[in-house]
Amino acid sequence: MTTRWTTDRARRAFSDFDEMFSSLEAFRQLMDRAYDDGARAERGAVGSWPRANLADSGTALVLTAEVPGLSDKDVNITLNQDVLTVSGERKTSVPEGYTAYRQERGSIKFSRSFSLPCRVDGEKATAAVKNGILTVTLEKVPDAVPRQIAVTG
Amino acid sequence: MSNETAISSREGRSSALPTYAPVCDVYESKDEILVLADLPGVTPDALRIHLEKGELTIEARRSMSAAGRALGAEFGDLEFRRRFGVPGGIDADRISAELTNGVLHLHLPKSDALRPRRIEVRAG
Repeated sequence: MTTRWTTDRARRAFSDFDEMFSSLEAFRQLMDRAYDDGARAERGAVGSWPRANLADSGTALVLTAEVPGLSDKDVNITLNQDVLTVSGERKTSVPEGYTAYRQERGSIKFSRSFSLPCRVDGEKATAAVKNGILTVTLEKVPDAVPRQIAVTG
Repeated sequence: MSNETAISSREGRSSALPTYAPVCDVYESKDEILVLADLPGVTPDALRIHLEKGELTIEARRSMSAAGRALGAEFGDLEFRRRFGVPGGIDADRISAELTNGVLHLHLPKSDALRPRRIEVRAG
């Protein structure tokens, strides 16, 4: 499933999801409160991990994602035309000598694709993982950078 | 960012940030209780952990620096907060914590009283 973010559709798309998720969220909170002391197990739907943001800095598109437990080598990033794919695996296992009392952080094999709103230069793309946050910086091709056009009178 | 309405604040009265309970694993060995919590984007200076009257609280504030104009956002600034009831017999002085790759590893060593011990049986 490809996440499509474009400047004109972003807000409308997200507000639809907001409404749907806020009522689901309220229901789930009621369920959780009955189940335990209010702590919530977060297990997103398939295709929604990791949570990601896309921003436009003017000269580049910047994708950030929450990837707790992962380091640089655990994430694969591929760029194909104007689709960015982030994939990998987050493994969690019971440490040696311990028994699991509670496990909410699941092992996840993930692959999310993002449809980029403009063309980017694959040669100049950089990515890094720090404190469990992935940051992918994609420089736009020169044509995609907004430019001022002088008005002559 | 309007997306934050999906993450509602349950306890935050004074804080303007939404509150979110981090996802956790709890493991137990004969020597300690180990809590792992997903806290992406949190740095050690923003993390507060305290144990009081058998209740362990993990709190952390996460601020994301804006990279530009947001085209789509699924996560943002928030306050992580979660409380656990902890059994008596934890040696509070020896509690230690590490934060690596956005995951908190919290070690709660059991005091000697709680450790399983072999009891000698003497023939009487």
